Amino acid sequence: MNPHAKLIFYMSLLLGTTITISSNHWMMAWTGLEINTLAIIPLISKSHHPRAIEAAIKYFLVQAAASALVLFSSTINAWHTGQWDITQLTHPTSCLLLTTAIAMKLGLVPFHFWFPEVLQGSTLTTALLLSTMMKFPPITILFLTSHSLNPTLLTAMAIASAGLGGWMGLNQTQIRKILAFSSISHLGWMTIIIIYSPKLTLLTFYLYSLMTATVFLSLDTIKVLKLSTMMTSWTKTPMLNATLMLALLSLAGLPPLTGFLPKWLIIQELTKQEMTAVATIIAMLSLLGLFFYLRLAYYSTITLPPNSTNHMKQWHTNKSTNPLLAILASLSISLLPLSPMILATI
Amino acid sequence: MSLLHLSFYSAFTLSSLGLAFHRTHLISALLCLESMMLSMYIALSLWPVENQATSFTLMPVLMLAFSACEAGTGLAMLVASTRTHGSDHLHNLNLLQC
Repeated sequence: MNPHAKLIFYMSLLLGTTITISSNHWMMAWTGLEINTLAIIPLISKSHHPRAIEAAIKYFLVQAAASALVLFSSTINAWHTGQWDITQLTHPTSCLLLTTAIAMKLGLVPFHFWFPEVLQGSTLTTALLLSTMMKFPPITILFLTSHSLNPTLLTAMAIASAGLGGWMGLNQTQIRKILAFSSISHLGWMTIIIIYSPKLTLLTFYLYSLMTATVFLSLDTIKVLKLSTMMTSWTKTPMLNATLMLALLSLAGLPPLTGFLPKWLIIQELTKQEMTAVATIIAMLSLLGLFFYLRLAYYSTITLPPNSTNHMKQWHTNKSTNPLLAILASLSISLLPLSPMILATI
Repeated sequence: MSLLHLSFYSAFTLSSLGLAFHRTHLISALLCLESMMLSMYIALSLWPVENQATSFTLMPVLMLAFSACEAGTGLAMLVASTRTHGSDHLHNLNLLQC
């Protein structure tokens, strides 16, 4: 792609995100969301492959409808209360519609059907942008309006997301779809705690972005898109495969790794709020996700097939590994001992 | 709720139902999206009329600018889908199923 066009698209992504996260007026929040949607469509459809175009169409339709719903809910609130402040959302219809619209933007169940298909149709770098950067403005809006959202709906969507993200990821062999379902189940964890402690939602989101960035960048280095390619990728960079296994187990939430921190704090906060049944259910449902993370880790690191790879892209000469990957991998594996410091600063 | 508010609610709701229940063509989904934006434009234009304050007249224009960009993007996706899938039929968009 033309480098000037690429620069404009990436700068527009940054601009849209910044406008939304720093806004007080609903129009500015909507403007930032629209700029983000418009800027990422050419990035998804860059390769003009039929799958990329299909992913871009599905992404565009869902996000445009959700933005219109956000604007509609803020207009209803403005008619009834006379102001456009984001933190002062009080009309009940408005709150319900906004919860639905943010769920559509993020990909919470039952509005999640577009997400695996859009991730499958885009390249690994674009999929990383879609999972982390494009979720940031809606989560910020969720954070700002957390006291006025519908708690029953949010809890129901969160438990359903954690369950469906685990269940539907079980039968997948395409890694981008597995990561999409992992994203949906992490979003379930983020949403369940937003009413009680919004800062834990942001902490979960930051740590999730860190771990997902590690996994996506490692996959981009070894150029694997499906399980069969992953089995023979150990010959390219053995150390990176071991790091990839630890990063995947961190995403699953296993204790000595970073991914355990948000789950632990969320379960503690839910128990303090007398929501013990919900905490038990969501912890059980994340075991489903553990299965496919373990399967990915097993196939990439623990089994070493004797045949060489039959995937064309892995025969090409190595470009050097992205140095950012080292920083992200160290952070996503070993951040748990620093949890008191993290808690003090969020 | 006044008659005015009812007409905006129903215009927006009918358009969003049209978008949700789209059947064959992508262009009908884009048309419903445009009619959602049009009903929002009229709703936002009446806000300065209700408040008798001209400082709010920027809002519908800003919204219209972004909705026009969105319409252009939607039409570009329509052309792209015709180039890759042969038509804009929505049931042809099944390459990425689980």
